[in-house]
Amino acid sequence: MQDFVDSALARIHAATTADELESVRVEVLGRKGVIADLSKDMGKLAPAERAERGKFINTAKQALESAWEGRKSGFERVALAARLDAEWLDLTVPAPGRKPGSLHPITQIQWEIEDLFRSLGFAVLDGPEVETEHHNFDALNIPADHPARDMQDTFWLEGGHLLRTHTSPVQVRGMEKLGPPLRMIAPGRVFRNESVDASHEHTFYQLEGMMIDRNVSVGNLIYFMKTLLGAIFHREVTVRLRPGFFPFVEPGFELDIRCLICGGDGCPVCKQSGWVELLPCGLVNPKVLRASGIDPAEWNGFAFGLGLTRLVMMRYAIGDIRWLQSGDLRFLGQF
Amino acid sequence: MKFSYNWISEFIDGLEPSAESLERIITIKTAECEGVDSFGRGLAGAVSAEVESVEPIEGSKNVKATVLTNLYGRKTVVCGAPNCRTGLHAVYVPVAPKTVGGIVSDGMLASESDLGVSNDHAGIIELTDNERLPALDHVIEIDNKSITHRPDLWGHHGMAREVAAITAKLLREPANLSLLPEAGGPVKIEIEDTSLCLRYSALVFENVTVRRSPLWLRARLTSIGLNPINNIVDLTNYIMAELAQPMHAFDREKLHGDTIFARPAREGESIIALNDETYELSPSNVVIADASGPIAIAGVIGGRDSAISATTTTIVLESASFQASSVRKTSSALKLRTDASMRFEKAQDPHNTVRALARAIELLEELSPGIRLVGGLADSGREIPVPAPIQLDLDWLARKLGCTLESPRVRAILESLEFKVSDDFTVTIPSWRATKDVATPEDLVEEVGRMIGYDSIEPKAPEVACAPSYDPPEREFLRRVKRTIAAQGFTEVSNYSFISEEDARRFGLAVEDHVRVLNPIAAGQELMRTSLLPGIHRNIVENAKHFDSFRLFETGREIHKQKNAKPEEVTHLMAAIYSKDDGRAALLELKRTAECLVPGISVRPTEPRPWEHPARCAAIYLGDVEVGRLSELHPSLVESGRAAVIDLDLDRIPRSIDARYIPIRKFPSSAFDLSLIAGVRELAGVLENQVRDFAGEHTESVEYVREYQGPPLPAGKKSVTFRILAGAPDRTLTTADITAVRERILNGFLALGYESRE
Ligand SMILES: [Zn+2]
Repeated sequence: MQDFVDSALARIHAATTADELESVRVEVLGRKGVIADLSKDMGKLAPAERAERGKFINTAKQALESAWEGRKSGFERVALAARLDAEWLDLTVPAPGRKPGSLHPITQIQWEIEDLFRSLGFAVLDGPEVETEHHNFDALNIPADHPARDMQDTFWLEGGHLLRTHTSPVQVRGMEKLGPPLRMIAPGRVFRNESVDASHEHTFYQLEGMMIDRNVSVGNLIYFMKTLLGAIFHREVTVRLRPGFFPFVEPGFELDIRCLICGGDGCPVCKQSGWVELLPCGLVNPKVLRASGIDPAEWNGFAFGLGLTRLVMMRYAIGDIRWLQSGDLRFLGQF
Repeated sequence: MKFSYNWISEFIDGLEPSAESLERIITIKTAECEGVDSFGRGLAGAVSAEVESVEPIEGSKNVKATVLTNLYGRKTVVCGAPNCRTGLHAVYVPVAPKTVGGIVSDGMLASESDLGVSNDHAGIIELTDNERLPALDHVIEIDNKSITHRPDLWGHHGMAREVAAITAKLLREPANLSLLPEAGGPVKIEIEDTSLCLRYSALVFENVTVRRSPLWLRARLTSIGLNPINNIVDLTNYIMAELAQPMHAFDREKLHGDTIFARPAREGESIIALNDETYELSPSNVVIADASGPIAIAGVIGGRDSAISATTTTIVLESASFQASSVRKTSSALKLRTDASMRFEKAQDPHNTVRALARAIELLEELSPGIRLVGGLADSGREIPVPAPIQLDLDWLARKLGCTLESPRVRAILESLEFKVSDDFTVTIPSWRATKDVATPEDLVEEVGRMIGYDSIEPKAPEVACAPSYDPPEREFLRRVKRTIAAQGFTEVSNYSFISEEDARRFGLAVEDHVRVLNPIAAGQELMRTSLLPGIHRNIVENAKHFDSFRLFETGREIHKQKNAKPEEVTHLMAAIYSKDDGRAALLELKRTAECLVPGISVRPTEPRPWEHPARCAAIYLGDVEVGRLSELHPSLVESGRAAVIDLDLDRIPRSIDARYIPIRKFPSSAFDLSLIAGVRELAGVLENQVRDFAGEHTESVEYVREYQGPPLPAGKKSVTFRILAGAPDRTLTTADITAVRERILNGFLALGYESRE
């Protein structure tokens, strides 16, 4: 008996494949195996002998099972290792599938500035691209025959309408809709009847801003522009105001920033002046407030216009404005 | 507008800043300068000199001249000019001596081109006795846009007033009004409408000699970009550039009658102007006329027939003031912008007419010696309104600027600009600032602000109420749409809002449905787009030259014509997939993209549009609202490859979807598949809707699984398989319940004549 057990153990240890091991298991430990046979006969034995035989069978069974399990897990480890090795992959090959597309650089900068203004409590408003003469000019204190209309070559449409030459009409619409106090910006597409070249487009993007409240001062305007431009350019900027004429503001300013390229020492970007003209702004002309039903004795404010297209060109160092409306994916895919 | 530094400094004694510093000062305080250039480089050190003797040089065209200079003593120069002769008053320039043909030439006799005052190099300059020489000058160019509101800055004296105020110097007045004769001229003035011609002043001079102007005058006009013509015309231009008052001189002999009329042109009148062009006039144009008709277009240009010529001996010198908007209208209607019209359209000060005439009397004595005034001053016009004074509240002013201000400082600033300030700060506006520029207290904020310097104002955070901002839902919606589609591999493009008639026709869009641009920038941009398609199509064609496959999209406004109303603007999204395969995948991919953008859409068959592949197009619905189209472009529009496009009307799509939690079912559901035999062109979507309709109670969902064509199915047939999920919220369904669902579907289809593939 013991010899049989020893030889079975030896066979378990000697098995070289999982199949071989399995056949030993079936022969010895299976339902019809040797151990099962031994147990079957036990009923015929005397009680004392039976107890001794039972003990022997249990011991042998435990020894055999443990040997079998050890051997079996050995085979499994080897098999797993072989499978894992066979599953070797080169992860340096390019990932299949489509890359995400991208948003137009104008959209990206526009959103960035919108978010900045929203964090300061400004509403983001939208206005029509086809405007009335009233909203584009008259309500902004630019009556017909005003020389300021020469500054903005206008596309006229049949039916007496026009394509907005600036986003300023949204100021008027914003004041009419929301009333004072008011903090708003209006980004959008504007049109000027100008020939297109590397630095001129008849279709470009502006962002108009306005704040109406009680006692808004030039000091507030300077603070605001400095804060805003610092956030746009991600660094401290030095600004200066100088007189500029825009009929919808009084006083009106041109705002320059100290050249970010040369720091003010002079370079080709700032035409050696140390300053770069960035945006027109001013205190809202009382005539404009009145035209929008706001009492200038009680309310006043400031307004400014930011050239989004220009900002995009500065941010990404784009030398030719025509790329922006080109629809060329070799260009647009870079953003 | 160009300004001569020397000219400005003639009005300010002891002007210290250089031209370069003046440019900076003017930019910061007054108007934007565009640069400084020197003028007349050769004038450095130039003096007048008399040619004492001229000797020929053998074998040379040059001559050896001995000249007596005004500063450097006697000099010998070699000169090649044909007009070099004894007795000539020339201009000597002390250049370094050099040997020419064995003779040492110590300096040179200059031509105008040598001095840099004109391009004339035909000969050396001939001065008249005692003629003064111009000096080296600097020219500051000011951006015209920055002085459109300042009629006074269109002349040197006005700019000098600014400079004097900024540098705290005294300003000299160039015109001496006491030179003006008594009223009562030899010509009569008749103004038909004094709202159009506010004032007309004139003087008549006789014994006039028309000739070339002296060098200093020609140089000065040239320096600021005006062409010298003759002494009389140059005089009018000089005074215009000095006092901002345009003037005009007529040849008295060529005028008919002795009355000058300022009146609207009669219907059918025309005039040949100084530029030799003929202008057809209408009653909206104001003209100056004599008894026979128009002699000038008021405020714009003079007539050729009454112009000054070499034989003119008597002149009528006009100095008038016209309504700004009338001059502007005429000038833009005739497409004729002149130095005069540019000034008049800024609303010139009517007080200035006689000031210019007084200045002319003085200058003409030098320019045309022997000239004599005939009679007195002809002067007619309406009474010039006195501008209402402005009450300035200093506290208010300080609040507007956001800084503290001492009242003596404010007073000094305003007075330096020639505003009159009373003890209680009632501010009187000077006439040259009152026509269009200054009228309100806000205008004075600018005057004080720019003079104290905006850099002296401390930046200060505004104190405003904290409040959430109004947030239009469409903005966030548009952002979500753009972000989603970009994440699906589409790159955003931006196209013009203009299309051509040809574009419209190519895509089968009726040309007359488009809003027309009255003044298009170029051919091919005459219509406003009613679809994003022409732009997207161009993007597809262009990018197909560089890429085998790509995805792009645009969001933008369509502009739709309305009867008697403002055109309607509709925001659309158009996306395209270009590929070089059979095009199936692209269309389904676009459909998937649309489902990402607008969950819950469905696709229905539709009539093809002219630009669509007739067998590959569909309408997109959200509920029962058509919100867009999905189609392949007609192969005739895409040379190689295929392009699938989707067009969504974003204005018809709900801005936000209200999500609401539905409890997860507690009892298990059961799924079963069911296949139907249908014709190959029957739409899976239609069948699916029918399955849903028939399934009825206990149906949780119906899902398309697959379809199959081929044996054992007969030709022309396909099998379509759907998976139906059945369940109930309150119990587990019995086999009988599920069988009932299945039976309802099968019976429904059997009744329609279909078979199932069981
Ligand atoms: Zn620089």
